[in-house]
Amino acid sequence: MASIRLESITKAFGRTQVLNGIDLDIADGEFLTLVGPSGCGKSTLLRIIAGLEKQSGGDVNIDGKTVNDIRPSRRDLAMVFQSYALYPHLTVRQNLATPLQLRDMTFTERLPIIGRLAPGYSGKRAAIRDAVKNVSDTLQIEHLLDRKPGQLSGGQRQRIALGRAMVRDPAGFLMDEPLSNLDAALRVHMRAELSALHRSLGTTFVYVTHDQAEALTMSDRMAVMMDGEILQLGEPDEVYQQPMDIRVARFVGSPQINIVTGDMDDDGRIAFLGVKLARRPSDGTTGRISIGLRPEHLYLHPHTPGKTFCGELVYKENLGSEVFLYIKVADTEDNIIIRVNPTEAQSIALGDETHIAHEPGKALIFNDQGRRITLAGSPLGEDAA
Amino acid sequence: MNLSRSSMWFVAPAVFLMFILLIAPVFVAAILSFTDYSLGNPDFNWVGFKNYAAMAKYSAYKKMFSASLLYVIIVVPVSVLLGLGAAMLISSLRFGGEAYKAIFFLPVMATLLAMAIVWEFTLDPIVGVVNAYLTRGCDVGWWYQFISGAWYGADPTTSWYGNGCNEGFPLWIGDKDYALFTIAFIGVWQAFGFNMVLYLAGLTSIPRELYAAAAMDGADSAWERFKLVTWPMLGPTHVFVITITSIRSFQVFDTVEALTRGGPSKSTYMMVYAMYEKGIQQNLVGIGAAITVVFLVFVLALTLTQVYFVNRKVHYS
Repeated sequence: MASIRLESITKAFGRTQVLNGIDLDIADGEFLTLVGPSGCGKSTLLRIIAGLEKQSGGDVNIDGKTVNDIRPSRRDLAMVFQSYALYPHLTVRQNLATPLQLRDMTFTERLPIIGRLAPGYSGKRAAIRDAVKNVSDTLQIEHLLDRKPGQLSGGQRQRIALGRAMVRDPAGFLMDEPLSNLDAALRVHMRAELSALHRSLGTTFVYVTHDQAEALTMSDRMAVMMDGEILQLGEPDEVYQQPMDIRVARFVGSPQINIVTGDMDDDGRIAFLGVKLARRPSDGTTGRISIGLRPEHLYLHPHTPGKTFCGELVYKENLGSEVFLYIKVADTEDNIIIRVNPTEAQSIALGDETHIAHEPGKALIFNDQGRRITLAGSPLGEDAA
Repeated sequence: MNLSRSSMWFVAPAVFLMFILLIAPVFVAAILSFTDYSLGNPDFNWVGFKNYAAMAKYSAYKKMFSASLLYVIIVVPVSVLLGLGAAMLISSLRFGGEAYKAIFFLPVMATLLAMAIVWEFTLDPIVGVVNAYLTRGCDVGWWYQFISGAWYGADPTTSWYGNGCNEGFPLWIGDKDYALFTIAFIGVWQAFGFNMVLYLAGLTSIPRELYAAAAMDGADSAWERFKLVTWPMLGPTHVFVITITSIRSFQVFDTVEALTRGGPSKSTYMMVYAMYEKGIQQNLVGIGAAITVVFLVFVLALTLTQVYFVNRKVHYS
């Protein structure tokens, strides 16, 4: 069990600044996801927590103790790597036993043959055997114990890597994109398994991914990172529904949020594509603004001036249970994506002119710096439009 | 002509060339080893296993085998371990690695025959720098004390160095007790740069994440990480390096020809030199061919051992 606290962590590789002062509190037993596009510094941050990388500045605290100068193996954390990093020359059983042998057995005890003569050898040996057995029972990998990693499928290797992390019973797990080498179906399955594992172990998980879906599905809290900073930290629902930065809004959610530019008229009312919002900015913001509209908050609607905008249907993405319509709207760079149900989708054809309205209160407004603007008369979260 | 027949015509030239250029010479050598043929003679007599029997009988050939084996036994492990050590040191450098690589690779690039001549001058007992400096060191007190072991109380005159100061230093390639080791030293000097390059390639192919995993698992010392990751992950490289170095060591010729001509008293009478001496210089083609066949059997046995027994263990996927 461990709480992890990061205090103004910075990291530079030569002149390239990778992390700019990260502050983060990870509670004991929490499943926290660091999510962001590649190159945002999330893996570096994880490696700094692990101790595999030395931060340029700032402190890492585990359970209230500063561990800046403590070796990775002494931080009582275990890591699961993207490539699994199993020792290919050892059997699964030996792979699982390695962390325990290195931690619990002395140098002499680990020597072949001579080690057997050391006092306490057989007791330690038996303890390790039991620990390996427990973990392989939990993960249902007993039948793989005598194989080598090269003879296993990606999913099996993933389990072994997880087992090697679990066998030491660490205070926290660090996971660096552990699912990204798996095929899509297995990845979805493993998400559920990892969540279940987290619940049953009750241990702190710090999970790095570039896949926003993994972050949304598994985490207690997620931290969206970009350009070496945490843009937003919060529960998945909150991050999805109330992104505080246009980059977060763009990154979280699939398909991507629709962003359109809007105007502000003289008395502060916001308009985009001929649609006017009812509320005004609470803080006299002026200048260029962007309006974010999630695909599920847009729907087909009969032409109504001031309420709908129109465009031409250019592509239908049929996912079976739902259909995403890609609509080319004049004056916007990207197609507008809207989510409809399959029956609705059948009613229109490619090339048709369609009229779209948005659900009131769901538009997300960002100023020209990309920061979220609250609208007057509504607390954040109930932006009435 | 049907399709399968035509395909045979396409491969025929390649098969023909392969047979003529690669396989036939081995068979010719094998056949000649059962004859008393000499170059220029119109015909020859079959002598059965006489050439092979001679190899088992005469002490010159026994010395040939022992010299060749001893040379291989020295050069292979030393040059392989030095190559690995140099490769690991170079790959740990932040900068300057390229320069070290180039320097250690110089002996590999240089013609061994030309280098042998340099060594000949260096090791010459009268004009060579090695003995000149060793002799001069006898008069430098602290050096003499240090190298002869007098600093921990040994009698300096009984040490190798003290003895050399009094009685004269070895003749190196002219001394039958030193010649083979001197040739082997030059062999190591020449070979380890090549092994280093192979190991450098092997080291770069080890995934970084394995070292990270080892660090997380508690492999805290460099030795633990070496044992857990580096050494096993270099498995395929070891097989290749050891095979290549063994074959090249069996083939040593340039230094023997240039420095010792097999002497003194056949102490450096290595197999390829013996082939050359018998088959070319003395025109005893039959016995030369017999040595060639034995040589090929050695090399083949070595290679097959590695392919069938070692290779299986080091490719993990």
